[in-house]
Amino acid sequence: MDATTAPHHIPPEMPQYGEERHVFELMQNMLEQLLIYQPKDPIPFMITHLQQDNDNVPKIVILGPPASGKTTIAMWLCKHLSSNLLTMDNLMAQKFSSLAAVAREHYQKMKVGLALGVGVGVRHLSKFSQALMIQTIGITPRHVIALSAPDTVLIERNLGKRIDPQTGEIYHTTFDWPPESEIQNRLVVPGGISELETAQKLLEYHRNIIRILPAYPKILKVINADQPCVDVFYQALTYVQTNHRSNAPFTPRVLLFGPMGSGKSLQAALLAQKYGLVNVHCGQLLKEAVAGESKFGELIQPYFQKEMAVPDSIIMKVLSQRLSQQDCIQRGWVLHGFPKDLDQAHMLNSLGYQPNRVFFLNVPFDSVIERLTLRRLDPVTGERYHLMYKPPPTLEIQARLLQNPKDTEEQIKLKLDLFYRNFLELEEFYRQATTINADQDPYTVFEYIESGIINPLPKKVP
Amino acid sequence: MQAGGSRELEARNYLEKHRIMELLSYLTSALLFFRPEKPREYLITILERLRIAKITGVAFPFFMDHSNIVAMFEMMDTSSKGTISFVQYKEALKTLGLLNKDEVLIDDGHIITLDKFRAEVNKRTEEIWSSF
Repeated sequence: MDATTAPHHIPPEMPQYGEERHVFELMQNMLEQLLIYQPKDPIPFMITHLQQDNDNVPKIVILGPPASGKTTIAMWLCKHLSSNLLTMDNLMAQKFSSLAAVAREHYQKMKVGLALGVGVGVRHLSKFSQALMIQTIGITPRHVIALSAPDTVLIERNLGKRIDPQTGEIYHTTFDWPPESEIQNRLVVPGGISELETAQKLLEYHRNIIRILPAYPKILKVINADQPCVDVFYQALTYVQTNHRSNAPFTPRVLLFGPMGSGKSLQAALLAQKYGLVNVHCGQLLKEAVAGESKFGELIQPYFQKEMAVPDSIIMKVLSQRLSQQDCIQRGWVLHGFPKDLDQAHMLNSLGYQPNRVFFLNVPFDSVIERLTLRRLDPVTGERYHLMYKPPPTLEIQARLLQNPKDTEEQIKLKLDLFYRNFLELEEFYRQATTINADQDPYTVFEYIESGIINPLPKKVP
Repeated sequence: MQAGGSRELEARNYLEKHRIMELLSYLTSALLFFRPEKPREYLITILERLRIAKITGVAFPFFMDHSNIVAMFEMMDTSSKGTISFVQYKEALKTLGLLNKDEVLIDDGHIITLDKFRAEVNKRTEEIWSSF
């Protein structure tokens, strides 16, 4: 194998930089814009696009039947995310094509995002192909919310609709009554809210929406509008702030934290098996070094013999040797059993091995005790049992089971104290960490960890 | 869907005509290699330089300059006999992103010297850059 056919040694700084700065998403956005507008001169177009820097603005479309609360939700979202609201009214109900042109202008020029309250506009989007056409001319929402509620609820709700003629805000006689009396006095009953008219609008809506929803397969979320406004708003807000899974190449570098008995080793083994990551157990690494009688092993052995903790510098050397190996860099790793305190965490960072997913496994004290004190070992077969979760099959085996002296309650308490003392500092250091309830069966916990790795990290609200 | 099909074809033609994929690939490699603090500004500077170079006809800021090509050649030519095999030559072009997927290179039996390699790399790079 010569230089051309050998696998490329990519320095780990490159994928790390790529992940942090979201280089892939940046390029993907630029490519999307190029394909939609297909400018004759791509380079000046790209320069303007980069200068605008509006990749991450919210682009939301809210669909829903009359009286589902689209305008209210849209207005609240806009205020919260400081973006602009485009409704049919303020685009002055122009014809379909000119609506699209005006919307596109707004879209391109504004540095801030927009939330399109397409309520009445559903009538215009009556064909699947029209919905697709909107996307091809450049109005590509990133999140589409569809509000749904039973028809009877909507008809009743629409009867209580009131509009403030000055601000254009929508109020409701029962659910959303304005506090100031001056607003109350000038509220007007809008036209077209009688039961019959609402029922007709609902019919038309149902006819059309079925054809539109499939146009937004991956970005659609249906929210039940038959709940208090605030609940609907919070659901919409959390959805809008989550990123979708991107296609960016991603090597997971996972860090698992948790007290003894939280299941770190088990989860790490499951992850390694399913995703091909390298399972790096710190304690195991040290034992292997001693057993392999390498030069590190000779350094470590005296500490093992005296039952003292191995000093950080030696651990770091052994760990960095393992993590810098090619298989770790290419396949990613799962680390557990390290770091145990803030100094070790800083050292890990300074070496350049930053994890991109950190999980804290939470288990209450009683569960830990239950899981650990009931562990038993069969000295004859070497099989490990647990008196509650995996009891030995026969009484004969049960009679000869032995317990590891490290699994007594006092020892466990000592270790747990040590863990929790460092826990707060570590939690603050790894601010992007996800906490998982590890007090469940292993496969449920595994699914939580999986979704934490696969989904992009939640965006922090500024 | 008729509309979808023709738009897709248009898009593909556009990409090829302006060599967008090569440009993006160059920009991404530059970003990952130099790892600037402010990626957007850095990209803007590169694009500005390209734009000016295109207008004024000045030489482009190539990614692989002369010394890099020589270094790469020497890496492949381990026994320093001054030539590389055809397979190596093809792989090298592929790694540099200068070989189209569908293009088939014919091994005409001549060995590839440093000069020929360099000339070919330069020729292909210029071909790509001239369409920006």
